[in-house]
Amino acid sequence: MSYGVRLHIWGERACFTRPELKTERVSYDVITPSAARGILEAIHWKPAIRWCIDRIHVLKPIRFESIRRNEVAGKLPAGTVSKGIKSGRVDEVHYFVDQNRQQRASTILRDVGYVIEAHFEFTSRADDSDTPGKHLDIFNRRARQGQCFHMPCLGTREFPAAFELIESEQQMPAVDDDLSGERDLGFMLHDIDFANGKTSRFYRAKMQDGVIEVPPFQEALA
Amino acid sequence: MILSALNDYYRRLAAQEKVPVPGFSSEKVSYALVFSHDGEPVAIDDLRDTSGKKPRPRSQQVPVDKRRTSGIHAYPLWDKTAYALGVTAGEGKRLADEHAAFKARQLALFGGCDDADLCAFLRLLKHWQPEKLAELSGYSEEMLDTNIVFRLDGQQRYLHENSMARSLWRTALENDEGVVGQCLVTGEIATLGTDHPAIRGVRDAQSSGASLVSFNSDAYNSYGNKGQDNAAISKVAIFGYSTALNYLLRGDSDNHQRLQIGDTTVVFWAEASDAVHAEAAEDFFAMLNEPPSDQQEAAQLGSLLGQVAQGRPLAELDPRLESGTRFFVLGLAPNAARLSVRFWCADTLDRLARHYAQHHRDLALEPAPWKGIAPGSWWMALQTAPMRGGQKPKADDVPPQLAGELMRSILTGRRYPQSLLSNLVMRFRNDGHITGARIALCKAVLARTARLAAHSNSHTQEVPVSLDRHSTHPGYLLGRLFAELENAQRGALGNQINATIRDRYYGAASATPASVFPMLLRNAQNHLSNMRKKDKGGLAHTLEREIGAIVNGLGDTFPKHLKVEDQGRFAIGYYHQSQARFAKRDSATTPEESTQGDDT
Repeated sequence: MSYGVRLHIWGERACFTRPELKTERVSYDVITPSAARGILEAIHWKPAIRWCIDRIHVLKPIRFESIRRNEVAGKLPAGTVSKGIKSGRVDEVHYFVDQNRQQRASTILRDVGYVIEAHFEFTSRADDSDTPGKHLDIFNRRARQGQCFHMPCLGTREFPAAFELIESEQQMPAVDDDLSGERDLGFMLHDIDFANGKTSRFYRAKMQDGVIEVPPFQEALA
Repeated sequence: MILSALNDYYRRLAAQEKVPVPGFSSEKVSYALVFSHDGEPVAIDDLRDTSGKKPRPRSQQVPVDKRRTSGIHAYPLWDKTAYALGVTAGEGKRLADEHAAFKARQLALFGGCDDADLCAFLRLLKHWQPEKLAELSGYSEEMLDTNIVFRLDGQQRYLHENSMARSLWRTALENDEGVVGQCLVTGEIATLGTDHPAIRGVRDAQSSGASLVSFNSDAYNSYGNKGQDNAAISKVAIFGYSTALNYLLRGDSDNHQRLQIGDTTVVFWAEASDAVHAEAAEDFFAMLNEPPSDQQEAAQLGSLLGQVAQGRPLAELDPRLESGTRFFVLGLAPNAARLSVRFWCADTLDRLARHYAQHHRDLALEPAPWKGIAPGSWWMALQTAPMRGGQKPKADDVPPQLAGELMRSILTGRRYPQSLLSNLVMRFRNDGHITGARIALCKAVLARTARLAAHSNSHTQEVPVSLDRHSTHPGYLLGRLFAELENAQRGALGNQINATIRDRYYGAASATPASVFPMLLRNAQNHLSNMRKKDKGGLAHTLEREIGAIVNGLGDTFPKHLKVEDQGRFAIGYYHQSQARFAKRDSATTPEESTQGDDT
């Protein structure tokens, strides 16, 4: 795996929402591959490459906490926005948060730390100038310096992720003793199949001493 | 995880025939209409359970395909009277439509069959005149708007139990096609369901039932999906999880798998090798949460937990329990039409018991504020509510979030919520009830934090269970000093004081010692000399020596202010020192008690 990268990420809170319990949010036990992909894309992404998550290392014990917040109940319809663009007027394009509110409870993760092991593949939009070394160098340089296109987050925007590149010769951070042994985490979201009507794909997550092997996306369904 | 655990539990229940099969649901039925072969109504049977004070409807397993919301939807072979008989006590604006829908549904389902019973039923519907209901024998006003079923005269079974009707119903359901996709509960490729049955029995949720999986506003949809498409769950799994959850929440008096902790309704279930072991595990867990009031049983449980804490497996201590039993605890809180998961815990019974044992060890305090074993977690949470003027704490005053977090930390053995300590310290200052139970909770928070921090090599002093004269923790020492100063005041002025220094200065003394302690010490000198004049020189001497010893340990100055943690220590020190007075008096009885403790 010559274009493999390892990124250490951590944060105080995280919410990797389960699709079945997303109204009154309940988080998955650990980060999903699609959330991990989002973090890598925040640091470096080009249409020519696609990130594939190989392995997720869970470093800290799985801890939950529940909170209750006031949130909005609606969205601004896309139609209103496109109408506004067409007519060049913005007086219809508004949403008053205080008029459409909902209290929602969330059961979220506390104090998380992961190492993402991933590699990238070229898409059909890659041309001759796209070499593996180039993109790997760009990613490593950006990650080393803490550069990102937008702040990477742990599931939702309100829980930012801190990150640090693990150099190839560097040791892995220690895994908490609490995570030793095998644990079945049940079916978990792998990613969304955007090419195929945005259907969700799930995989059976099994954690062995804190390490989760992520199957390639095409095999996740099997 | 939650849904798949519930779905697995459904399968085990179904194997024991405790829950309905797919296409059927447990509903509350009050009456049966008896009719003849010619389709003439004969009588009305009251099916209700009259053993209690009020007659209660009985649960029957009747065919149900989907949840009725605001639209008109009729069920086969049973329904409420508005649908089934065209009679209602209300205004009945839609009465005609509802009754017509019921008739049409029965005709569509059973019109093509030649079963004699079903044909008689269809004849009954055809000639049915709603106004004749009142003339039937057994009619009462109470019957209106309850659920009714049907029975052919001379038969034991109800019509919905007819084997022909059941097989017709099953075929009708199977023909009902849907989108095929990957189910997120089982991982199988199956027909996805769109209708989640209501979950009933969570306190303070809507009485008609609330939803665990629901997407009832725009903001909850993702990726352009609408409603239930957001979560791909197969029909089988939807039926499984909802039936298992409704079974756990059932309102029967024999339901031992349900607890109420504040606003959170807690259900729990075990996965053991057979049903007997599972039930024993569930009973054991129920006992952990609501310790028995009987002293002997409580002492037994206490000693059992003591042995668990020393690492002995449960199966060795109680033959009915099995090691390796998996245990699931789910806390559900109502939020209008929805349910939210407040906590979820899936672990082995052994580990859970060890966490409970740890909880009891953290709570341990000498002298013990309760007899036998510490009360359940809800009683504990209740101690954070205000107790003004000797009133009992009200359940509404407990922050619901706090009760849930406390329960979660007991279950997982992790840190107690930090807000618990700050809440307690605030309560000491506001209502002045420095009770043993509150101190025990304070001590538990501090002891557990110290124990968990010990792993990360930080240096925190251990929190003492009983009076520790060697502790040098400033908060603890100040608490002890405060108790002695109060003793001096009581010794000088007697027990009948309008406002003791505790009533006046506890808050200030625990938060900002430097501002009040010098003044209190000055007053104490007056109290001491007062005592000597009153011929209590001996007591004055003891107190003076004790105060001197504590002040010596404190160093040069009083701390300007104490952190919340130190205020917790202050409360513990205060409790230990003030109880030490009583302990001296009862010292003759103590050895006896301790031998009793060893026997059990």
